[in-house]
Amino acid sequence: MNSAAALRRAVRRHRTWAILGVVFVAALVLTAVLQLQPHGDRTQLSIRNPAPEGARAAAEILGRHGVAVEQRDSFESTIQTLESAKRAGERSTVLLYDPNGYLGRDQLQYLGGAADRLVVITPRLNTLQGVGGGIVQAGVVRDGTEVLAPACVISDPAAAGTVSAANGYLYDGEVVCYAPRDGGGGLYAGSEDGRTVVLGSTEIFSNGALAEQGNAALVLRALGAEQRLVWYLPGIADVPAAKKPVTLDELAAPWTHVLGPWLAFVAVLAIFWRGRRLGPLVFEPLPVVVKAVETAEGRARLYHDARAVDRAADVLRAGTLVRLARTLRLGPDAGAAAIIDAAARHLDRTPESVAGVLDAEPRAEAELVRWAQQLERLEKEVHAR
Amino acid sequence: MAISGRFVLLALLGLVPAVLLPGWESAGVVLLLLAAAALLDLGLAVPLRQVSVQRADPGSVPLTGSAESVLTVANAGRRTLHGLVRDAWQPSAGAQNPSQRLLVPAGERRRMTVTLQPSRRGELGAEHVTVRAFGPLGLAARQRTLPCPGSLRVLPPFHARRHLPSKLRQLRELDGKAAVQIRGAGTEFDSLRDYVRGDDVRSIDWRATARRSAVVVRTWRPERDRRVVILLDTSRTAAARIADEPRLDTGIEAALLLAVLAERGGDRVDFLAFDRRLRARAGSAAKGNLLGQLVQAMVPLDAELIELDWSQIPAQIRSVSAHRSLVVLLTALDGGAPEEGLLPMAALLAQQHVVVVASVRDPMLGEMQQERSSASGVFRAAAAERALLEREAVSAQLRQAGVEVVDAEPSLLPPALADAYIRLKAAGRL
Repeated sequence: MNSAAALRRAVRRHRTWAILGVVFVAALVLTAVLQLQPHGDRTQLSIRNPAPEGARAAAEILGRHGVAVEQRDSFESTIQTLESAKRAGERSTVLLYDPNGYLGRDQLQYLGGAADRLVVITPRLNTLQGVGGGIVQAGVVRDGTEVLAPACVISDPAAAGTVSAANGYLYDGEVVCYAPRDGGGGLYAGSEDGRTVVLGSTEIFSNGALAEQGNAALVLRALGAEQRLVWYLPGIADVPAAKKPVTLDELAAPWTHVLGPWLAFVAVLAIFWRGRRLGPLVFEPLPVVVKAVETAEGRARLYHDARAVDRAADVLRAGTLVRLARTLRLGPDAGAAAIIDAAARHLDRTPESVAGVLDAEPRAEAELVRWAQQLERLEKEVHAR
Repeated sequence: MAISGRFVLLALLGLVPAVLLPGWESAGVVLLLLAAAALLDLGLAVPLRQVSVQRADPGSVPLTGSAESVLTVANAGRRTLHGLVRDAWQPSAGAQNPSQRLLVPAGERRRMTVTLQPSRRGELGAEHVTVRAFGPLGLAARQRTLPCPGSLRVLPPFHARRHLPSKLRQLRELDGKAAVQIRGAGTEFDSLRDYVRGDDVRSIDWRATARRSAVVVRTWRPERDRRVVILLDTSRTAAARIADEPRLDTGIEAALLLAVLAERGGDRVDFLAFDRRLRARAGSAAKGNLLGQLVQAMVPLDAELIELDWSQIPAQIRSVSAHRSLVVLLTALDGGAPEEGLLPMAALLAQQHVVVVASVRDPMLGEMQQERSSASGVFRAAAAERALLEREAVSAQLRQAGVEVVDAEPSLLPPALADAYIRLKAAGRL
C-alpha cells in the first residue's frame, strides 16, 4: 500500500519525463520495425517489381499467354538457360536492359549468337557495337513529343499503332519505325532478319505506362514471338574482370621488407627498456578520510528527500531562539515567550509582530525558504541594535 | 635483467646494414651480433650477490623539514659496479632523488644520499633497495632487489608554536615576574615587600608591619607543581577531517601547546593517547625535554576505527596522578552518543579533578547554517543548525556538571585551550 502510494507520487513527479520517454521508445520501435521489414525488388524494369517503373505487368501478361518468362541477372545463368532451351528444342527471346553498360563486346556477341531473338532496350554506344546488326544511335526524342506513330510496314509496330515516346532515344538501322516527323532514326530499330530489335524507350515496358496507347501491344508482340523469354538485367558481377593490379608490396624496394619488422623489433626493445621497473612498487598505507561535515550533509539530504518542512522549520526556529537568547543575555533557561518579549522590546516592536515571524508554520518548500530568510533578517536586526 | 637506451639506439642503428645489404640473412646476422653484445655485457656486469647495501638511520624530522637517508653500497666483486640504485621510500616520504647512478670500484664502498621531504606525520618506511648493475658497455644490466628496511619518524609540525610567546607572557604576568604582584593573581604566599602607593590595602600584613617601622604587604603567586593530565582521544571520531586536517592532528597541536605552556608554568604534565588501550604516554616525570618526548610519543599515533572505552578512563588517569589534577579531554562533542560515554564520565571525573573538554568545531557547519537562498540550502542550514544545537546541548550539560568546555575551530583550538588553562590558573582552581 505504502509502496503503491510512493509509486504514484513518483509518477506524478516525473510525469513529463515519463511521457517523453514513452514517445521516444515508441518512435524507436516504429523505426526499427520499418527498417527490418523486407524490401521489395526496386530494380527498374524487373519483372518482380510492382512499382510504376517495374515491369511485372508485362511479364504477367506474357506468362498468361503461354510464354515462359524467366529473369536472370548474370551472364552465366542467362547462357545456361538459353542452352538448356536449345537442347529442349525451344526457341527463345532475350530481353537485354543494360543501362550501365556492364557487358563487354565479347559477351554481347556470344549472347547474340545464343539467342534466337534479341530485344535490347535503350542500349549505350558500346552495347550497340557489341550487339551488331548495323544499328546506331540517332539522338533523342524532342521534348514535347508525347506519342509517335509507326509509319512503317513491319508487322509488330504496324499492328500496335502509336506508342508513348516521351524521354525516348532514337536509333537508326536497317529497319526503322516510329520515326519523328523531322526524321533521323526512330524509336524502333531492327536488323533485316528481325533477330535484333532495339527499342528506345523504357517507359513502354513499365507498369506505369503499359496500358497507354499501343504500348502493351508493341511489348507483347516484340517479346512474345517465341516460346521462352529470358529477361536479362546484367549486374555488376558481369563486368569482365581486368588484369590484377600491381600490389604496393611488388612496387616497394627490396630493403623495405626488413624495415617494418625491424622497426617493430626496436619498438619492443624500447618498450622493454622503458617498461622495466626499478624494483617492486612501494605501498603507501593511506589514512582513513572521513569528512566531519558528511553527517550533517547526509541529514540535509534526508530532510530534502522526505520534504520534512516542519522538522526543518522547528530546528531553524530553535537555533534562532538560542542565538537570540544569547544576544539578549537571557540565560539558558529562558522560554520562547520571554525571548520574544525581550526581542520585541529590543526592537521597539510589538511582541505579536516578532511572534508572527517566529511562530509561523511554513507548509511548502518555497514558504520555508522565505521564512528562513525572515528569521535571518530578524536575527540580524536584533544583533545590529 | 634490463636493457639500456643505448642498446635500443644500437638496435636502431642495426637498421643501416640490414638496409644496405637487403635480405633476411643480413638482418639475422645483425640480430645475432646484437644478442651477442647484450649477453657479453651482461656477463661482464658485477654479480649482484657480491653487492651489499647498508642503511644509516635517518632519525626523526619535523613535518616541515627535510631529512637525508644515507645508503652505503659495498662492492665485494672483482669488477667495477656501474650501478643504478633506487632507494624505495613510500611516496609520502617525498624522496627527491630516489634513483641515482653510482660508480663503485672493486672492493670499495660508496655513499648515496637521498633527500626526503615528508608530507605526512608518522613512521614512514622504506622496504628495500634495488640495484641495477650495467656491464662495461652500458648495454644490458643485471637487477636485484635487496631487503633493506629503514624508517623515518616524522614529528608533528607544532604550528601552534607561534602562539607560545604571547601565552607565556600572559603566564608570566600571573607569576609576577614582569608585572605587579597583587592579591588575586594567585593563592600561594610568595614574599613580603614594602607597601607602594597603589597596592591593595587588604594585602597589608599587619603582623609584619608591626615588627618594622614601614608598612609591609604580602605578595602572592600562582600555585605551582600542580598536575596537568592531557588525554587525547584516538578513537574513530578522531579520524574525522575538519578543514582538511584530521581531528587527531588538531588535538595534537592543542596538546603540545598546552603541555609546553603548563611546563613553563611550573606544573607537571602527563600525556596519554587512548582509545581502547593506551597508544602513547609521555610526561615530565621522565628525564629529558618534555616537548621532545611528547613529539616522539605522538609520531605513531593514528586514528583507530574503534569506539573509545570510557569506562577505563578513570583508571588511566589514576595511574598517572593520584591527586587532584587538571584533566584535559581532547575528544569530540558530536559523533553519535556523547550522552553515554562522555557526559557521565566527565561528570564523575569532575568530582575529583578539574576537567576541561576540548573539541574542534567544524567551520563548515557555520557556513552551511548561513545558506538561506534555496530549498536545498535551507534544508542544509536546518541540518547544520541541528548539529550545532546538539553540540550546544552537550556543552550545556557538561557545564552543568562543572566541566569547562572549549569548543573552537581548528586553528583556534590550541590558543583557546591555552587561554582556558591560564584562566583556571589565575583563578587558583588548579
